Amino acid sequence: MAEKKPAITKLEELGLKMIQQVERNESPTFETVLRSKGNVIYDEAIGCLRLGESKEQRTFVNVAQAKKFMQTIAVANKCKKFLEEDAHTSIRGLFYQLKFSLGEEFDEELFSEQEESNPLIEDLEVALKLKREDLNLNTDRKGVVAGNLVLLDKFGGEKTEIDCAKQGRSGWMIPSDVDNGMDFVSIDADWVLVVEKDALWQRLNEDKFWKKENCILITPKGQASRGCRRLIRKLANMKLPIIVFTDNDAWGWYIYWAIKTGSMNLAYLANDIATPEAKFIGMTMQDLNDYDFLNKLTIKAKDVDIKRAEEMLSYEWINRHKEWVRELKTVIQTKKKIEQDALQGPRLSFVGEYLREKMQKKKFLP
Amino acid sequence: MAARNEHTLNGEGMVYDISKEFKEHSIAEFFKKNKQMLGFSGKVRSLTTVVHEFVTNSLDACEEAGILPEITVQLEQLPSGHMKLTVEDNGPGIPKKLVGKALGQMLAGTKFHRFMQQRGQQGIGASGVVLYSQITTGKPVYFKTGLGDGKAYEGEIKIDFQNNRPILMNEREYDENYRGLKVQAVFGDVKYDKSEYSPFEYIKRTALANPHAQIIFIDPTGERILFPRASDLVPEEPIEVQPHPLGIGTHDLLEYAHASQERKLSSFFVNTFSRFSYGKVEETKAELVKHMLEKNTGMLNSDAEKAVQDLFEASPKELTWEQAEMLIYVFKRLKWISPETEALRPIGPSQIEKAMRNIFNPEYVVVTERKPKIFRGGIPFMVEAAIAYGGNAGTQKADGGVSGTIYRFANRVPLLFDAGGCALTTAVKGLDWRRYDVHDFENEPISVFINFISVHVPYTGAGKQAISEEEEIIEEVRLAVMEAARGIQRYLHGKIRERTREAKKKAILRYVKQLSQDLPQLAGKGEPEQLERKLMQLVENKYSQLTLEEAEEEVEKNGNGEEVRDETTDAEEE
Repeated sequence: MAEKKPAITKLEELGLKMIQQVERNESPTFETVLRSKGNVIYDEAIGCLRLGESKEQRTFVNVAQAKKFMQTIAVANKCKKFLEEDAHTSIRGLFYQLKFSLGEEFDEELFSEQEESNPLIEDLEVALKLKREDLNLNTDRKGVVAGNLVLLDKFGGEKTEIDCAKQGRSGWMIPSDVDNGMDFVSIDADWVLVVEKDALWQRLNEDKFWKKENCILITPKGQASRGCRRLIRKLANMKLPIIVFTDNDAWGWYIYWAIKTGSMNLAYLANDIATPEAKFIGMTMQDLNDYDFLNKLTIKAKDVDIKRAEEMLSYEWINRHKEWVRELKTVIQTKKKIEQDALQGPRLSFVGEYLREKMQKKKFLP
Repeated sequence: MAARNEHTLNGEGMVYDISKEFKEHSIAEFFKKNKQMLGFSGKVRSLTTVVHEFVTNSLDACEEAGILPEITVQLEQLPSGHMKLTVEDNGPGIPKKLVGKALGQMLAGTKFHRFMQQRGQQGIGASGVVLYSQITTGKPVYFKTGLGDGKAYEGEIKIDFQNNRPILMNEREYDENYRGLKVQAVFGDVKYDKSEYSPFEYIKRTALANPHAQIIFIDPTGERILFPRASDLVPEEPIEVQPHPLGIGTHDLLEYAHASQERKLSSFFVNTFSRFSYGKVEETKAELVKHMLEKNTGMLNSDAEKAVQDLFEASPKELTWEQAEMLIYVFKRLKWISPETEALRPIGPSQIEKAMRNIFNPEYVVVTERKPKIFRGGIPFMVEAAIAYGGNAGTQKADGGVSGTIYRFANRVPLLFDAGGCALTTAVKGLDWRRYDVHDFENEPISVFINFISVHVPYTGAGKQAISEEEEIIEEVRLAVMEAARGIQRYLHGKIRERTREAKKKAILRYVKQLSQDLPQLAGKGEPEQLERKLMQLVENKYSQLTLEEAEEEVEKNGNGEEVRDETTDAEEE
């Protein structure tokens, strides 16, 4: 193998530091940033959620931490092996690789539940400033792309060029890792449209919306996966405007804000995965005023939607936008929500017309 | 007889010579009729009492002669239903001419020269035992003694109740280099069991308070139990002090009086007792008159004065039990200068510890030593307390469990009976033992030893088995036991910690192997075997260097500065 992967170097440095500690008669210690909710902050400067400064130390010669420490190193070592072998697996696959007995004399396994190994992977990601994808750990693939985007996939030692404009009706499925062995070859698009629902993506694909509007059409198919979010981030890095189109309800808003500011759970990935530049095109409560037919197509907001709206009003990164405060208050007041699909009410292709109009008038929510 | 004496003392009817009245009744006769006063009440207790009398006499004699005691006590059940007791010691022996007085005469005053803190003060003497054997079986007591001068003297002895005189029979003197005393007596109306009141328990406790003694006990089944000597240190000979009027009982007063060579009771008081001046004699007389008038309102002042005057002019040898009882009562109503304190003779912490270890073979012993205190406004006393935990401490219960046990002593003499009304028991039971990590005193292997030391032990009754519940005494005993309890608490706490510490060490060590394999692979450097040794050493070091406190308080700080308690500390309680 040519050059040592940066992840392997980082893992070796981690191990070496610990061996040196032992040689100095110190207890080997692992330090990572605390990932608890209390240590998640909204960083205005970078416009997304990130972890604070609180550190967590794990040292071997401490009865409360010994096992976790040993397990962390076992996970790290296993990941190093995957990297060396150029093999990928899921976090579940990793768990099964490490589910074995500690020895005949002990009635104990290295790991007995996946719940034990999952957080340790995140610990390593934070401590080494790496993503799990960098450790050859796959996540489930989710999300589809169509548009004038060409990528080079160096998977399995082979080079495959992928043209997202030539994926027919199905589009290109976004892999778990869009960083390692995956390069942009060319992008010929003016903007990116992220559509919450696959059904709407298929609608717009059929309508050749991305061709007509020269955009890259992505659907995360619900909540955006890590790979999907990372791809959006990378496209934003190419200075493409990111426009998000979701339902006007709790689930839809959450999808938008996770793409824009990141989520609590993945706060440790911060601006690697968040796209603060993203803008929200709809659906909005304002649409009810602008498109009269929608008034007949609203559905009653559920308790969870109302609760979510109230919660969002309390987030400083949301309530700093008066437009969103107005939107959310209207939802709470009227107890109504609108789905993207409702735009197909007058005619199927109205979705495209709606988007075109709003794009032209720049009717976005921040 | 008692009624007639009372009659006289109460001054009812005509006043007559009190001493003359006494002459008509032998003191032996009196005790024969009032044997419960000597501790002969109940079959088990009576047997323990006779063992006690002989054993304490042996211990006292050895102590005075500077001999390390070796005492053998044997009980045999006879086909007749009687119990045969044999006690043999290696003491100084009794000179031939004193044998009769020592064994065959009540209140003979063989202890007349020993106004000191001694065990024997607690009893009625060997003659009381002879008396008891005689009234329950009619049989004499066999004795053999020698001074180690090549001659042995043996015989049998009885008491002439009428005249309180010894009757010696079958005497024989022969050549044998024998030193010590052997007595053999047969008793009816006694019973052997293994209860907490038994001779076995008495001897065990005697061994506990007398680590310099070796005692062999052979019970009626033939089982031979050895209580080995724990210390070669003969206790210091007690300092002789004159008895203090507040520190004696009726029986003591009688014994002293009857042994006295003084002509008059007044001079007997002044020359025998500490702090007893002629001024005090007058105070005593005045108070006695007052007391007689209080008890009998119909009595003329002049008659009472006459009776008291006569009493004080009479020979102390003629003092009766009732008169002595009244005098003791009156003594307590007078103000006295405190007695000297230097006469207190504690066993000493190291001796107690040796004894506790010897008898209980415990996991842990704590002994406290405290300074003398005073009670009743001036009587010095001292409390020695010790607690043994684990091993054979406590008392084995029938259900297989163990119960916490209080071992009470007064001047090294075990107090077996009347535990309920005793200041020592009250003090111990009053403690909140849970505060000392003794969660259930009644169900723990714990022995609490308390020795109450005073030249004047304030017994609650003639049985001399319980110490009066005076506030100062209870408080001092409480403090002494608490002090020891704190030591036990530290131990018990440490024990829990030690277990925790071991558990922690083990918990970490089980992960060493896996880590030693992974870490060098991860680093791409280092050697598993070497790392394993290093890591094990690190774990060992941490948990052996840590003081107990630190191990307990092992609290780790995380990045937040929040304290995260060690999980196993809590897990211990599961």
